[in-house]
Amino acid sequence: MKTYNRILFLLFVFIIMPAVFMMALLWAPPAEFLGEASRILYFHVPVACLSVISFIAAGYHSIMILISENNIEEREYKSYNAAYTGIIFTILTVVTGSIWAKISWGSYWNWDPRETSIVILMLIYISYFSLYSALKDNVNRTRISSVYLLIAMITMPFFVFIIPRIYPSLHPDTIINAEKKVHLDAAMRLTLFASVVVFTIFYGYVFNLMNRISSLELKLQEKQNDN
Amino acid sequence: MNSRILKNIKKDFLIEFRNRSAVNISFAFAGITTLSVSLVAGGTPFPPVVHAIIFWIILFFSAMSGLAHIFIREEEEKNSLFLSLYYTPEEIYISKLIFNVVLFLSISVIVTFLYLFFLQVLPSYKFLFFLTVVSGSIAIASVTTILGAMVSKAGSGSSLFTVISFPVLLPVLWTAISLTSVSIDGSGVQEYRNIIFLLAFSGVIVSVSYLSFKFIWTEF
Repeated sequence: MKTYNRILFLLFVFIIMPAVFMMALLWAPPAEFLGEASRILYFHVPVACLSVISFIAAGYHSIMILISENNIEEREYKSYNAAYTGIIFTILTVVTGSIWAKISWGSYWNWDPRETSIVILMLIYISYFSLYSALKDNVNRTRISSVYLLIAMITMPFFVFIIPRIYPSLHPDTIINAEKKVHLDAAMRLTLFASVVVFTIFYGYVFNLMNRISSLELKLQEKQNDN
Repeated sequence: MNSRILKNIKKDFLIEFRNRSAVNISFAFAGITTLSVSLVAGGTPFPPVVHAIIFWIILFFSAMSGLAHIFIREEEEKNSLFLSLYYTPEEIYISKLIFNVVLFLSISVIVTFLYLFFLQVLPSYKFLFFLTVVSGSIAIASVTTILGAMVSKAGSGSSLFTVISFPVLLPVLWTAISLTSVSIDGSGVQEYRNIIFLLAFSGVIVSVSYLSFKFIWTEF
């Protein structure tokens, strides 16, 4: 990695991220009814956003595999890595969400439409990995798993955006809501957006690192095949 | 193109009905599951939503037992290469889709009659119930056709088919269960609009599958 990139990352990990965590835990005021427990908002919302962003990234690379003839191998590991990071963020979303549900609704799991939608996203990731590993010996593995992600992508808007709006939900309004307004006071809003930004940059860094590892593995494999 | 698709459909029907084992197993599975449920229930009066859930679970697993077969057979009998030489991937997809829709609608009719008869359910909105079964079955057949092709290429059989189908089919099951429940208890006639959701979902899946089937079927 180039030196300035490394310095930037160290600055980010050791100064900016802890600062945002401090903002979330100490500076931002607690919510009116939930009290101190509401601070989980600054961790739950970013990981939920990233689980969807990862899914979109995996879907984007899958579509590019199907429509473009170039860089297939690169696209393959990028879509796989996006899905890989996606499932981790989805699990984190489920865990933080159920802790929040226990505090505010009294039980860890309620089959609320929004809880259901994130579990289905997790199931899609699990199915993708099952299909990907089952296709180990198939020369078309990349394309077939890309088509699966494409089909799964079509169903996602129904779960994430449509069904929670049709069926009654206890979940608080999301950032992207019908009124297009964020129902938070200024300090909470600032902390939430700072948290989303740092988590997204962190995700970008991890994703980039995974892609570099995959690229090196690929080169190593090519070298071994040549010998 | 139409005559070639018809020729392929005719071939599939001929093979399936000459060697009836696969089709028989699908129908027998659907029948036995429905009968087992009614036997175990033993006349217990279920609320409409429980009826709807059991009914669609039976239909879902009936689809899982039979709808991937049309592609798996081609792979097992090493016919896929010959098919690819003669037909375009789009023609293969359309013919297999029509076969699966017809097969699953037949399975659904059997399950519906057995279920209504043995569990003594009489839907309040019969037309809504009928539309739900038809549009839900078309949606299930549309999704499972493309996923069946993927599974046949993976060579992993029915467990993988169920795993990859479940998340994609959930919007269909979710909507179909709520529609069936409403049609049984007669609580909301405005639910008719959800039929459009099921049909639109099938339309979207079929369009994407039609465009992307060549990536699954053709070896690059």
